[in-house]
Amino acid sequence: MDQPTIHQLVDHLFRHESGKLVAVLTRIFGVDNIDLAEDVVQDSLAEALGQWQYRGIPANPSGWLFRVARNKALNILQRQKYQRKYVSGARHDLSSDSSSESLLESFFSEQEILDDQLRMIFTCCHPALSKDSQVALALKTLCGFSVPEIARSFLTTEENIKKRLTRAKQHIREACIAFDVPAGLELDRRTGTVLETIYLLFNEGYSASEGDDIIRCDLCVEAIRLAGMMEQHPAIRDKSDVCALLALMYCNASRFKARQDAEGRLLTMAEQNRSLWDNSFIAKGIEYLHRSTRDGHLSVYQLLAAISAQHNVAPDYASTDWKSILMLYDNLITIEHSPVVLLNRAIALSKVDGPEMALQALEPLKEDPTLSSYHLFYSTRADLYMQLNRFSAAADCLEKAISFSTLEKETDLLRRKLLSCTEKIS
Amino acid sequence: MEKEFMLLIHNQMDSKSQLSAEESQRFLKDCMVYINDLMKQGKLKGAQPLVREGKIISGSKGSWKDGPFNETKEVIVGYYHIVAKDLDEAIAIAKGNPEFVYTSTARIEVRPIKMVEQETGFVYPKEG
Repeated sequence: MDQPTIHQLVDHLFRHESGKLVAVLTRIFGVDNIDLAEDVVQDSLAEALGQWQYRGIPANPSGWLFRVARNKALNILQRQKYQRKYVSGARHDLSSDSSSESLLESFFSEQEILDDQLRMIFTCCHPALSKDSQVALALKTLCGFSVPEIARSFLTTEENIKKRLTRAKQHIREACIAFDVPAGLELDRRTGTVLETIYLLFNEGYSASEGDDIIRCDLCVEAIRLAGMMEQHPAIRDKSDVCALLALMYCNASRFKARQDAEGRLLTMAEQNRSLWDNSFIAKGIEYLHRSTRDGHLSVYQLLAAISAQHNVAPDYASTDWKSILMLYDNLITIEHSPVVLLNRAIALSKVDGPEMALQALEPLKEDPTLSSYHLFYSTRADLYMQLNRFSAAADCLEKAISFSTLEKETDLLRRKLLSCTEKIS
Repeated sequence: MEKEFMLLIHNQMDSKSQLSAEESQRFLKDCMVYINDLMKQGKLKGAQPLVREGKIISGSKGSWKDGPFNETKEVIVGYYHIVAKDLDEAIAIAKGNPEFVYTSTARIEVRPIKMVEQETGFVYPKEG
């Protein structure tokens, strides 16, 4: 008996093959039948498993899976040709023509698979769907995540995710959302929506949590993979935003292992162990950053990526180039004048012009509805007051921060800071 | 002396259809490790899956009946043909099968293969 091999089994092969297959089968069965496509894929994976568990993985696992899925699709089309109403002409041909087998074959070519995945990206990220639904649907169909895995990544129940997915698919049917890549001006607009969803997916994985870190890392990797597909596809001609988002995600993801402590508390740049940063990710981030700047237009992703990269290239916290970072924030507020950006700019400002100036810049934001209930707004100001030895003002801010903090470990840390402040007052 | 055993794997026909893509991949890796370990120790003579499609024949000459399996019923999904020094070792090997880790409905039948008829000395023909 031959030694079975596992070397063909690259990371997440099953997830990614299932993402490809669901896309291709959705094109064949129609976008109304994503469920059917998913069932056929699930069935094909189970069949592969039943064989490979004894014999080892075949030389071309992906080809094996595609053959099985194609045969299953053919059976369904032939069995149901009179029962199911196929909308498009292509599908009609498939179910009636005796040459359907060779026609079906063409759906499984390398280029068609790429095209179908891009169609799936635009369908999942259709602006008519809620952002939550977009992310869940993309994870399920494109990334091959199971319902329990999605539930674990969002720290919610499986029931919730199931509802979200059912609603999304229903919405796709009712709104007659096409399984297609938009063209012309529509393409630019819709690309923006897709990138937003991908960034949301990324941040879902990157944000601190006490949940499962492996699955959160998978979310970041998947977000990068989806953006990579956009970047590779010739249909997307203007790649600057895609490259900028890739740059941002690579630069941030390079700090994934260093970003939080064992308790799930987010660490600041000053606290992170820089030897845990991933240099290959940093290099990719910077490469994409260069590619995004070619046509000279500025985007939010690009400026955020440039700020992130500034941190990445500083050998230690003390040598951070705060002047450049402040300049990037100044540019950023001209295109995105959001309270959170202003808060982060204030930190850079404090490094360049001192804590007093930063506090002054934050003063008008006290009434802002977003920031007035955001614990970081108060803890940032507390830090600035402490630098100025104004401990009772700092204590006031810390009390507010504690009242708005949701993570237990974060609250603990704020309490310890508060204690040290009150000791200095008395 | 080493004896030969058949490990007949019983499970629900669809026992693995609920595994996620990632679990399927982990299961597969575990199976490869399991098989490789047995082979390195020279304890594995063969392992094969049995495909889902098949018939059950019953009756006798003149009145044959053949029917498909009932899909919800447990079936033999595959077998391992192993070498072990006694039944206890064969059982221990069976217990290490990843099938038990990833599904809750697996049952493994451990059966010694009769090699020599004690009374007559008749040696049964071997595979391969």
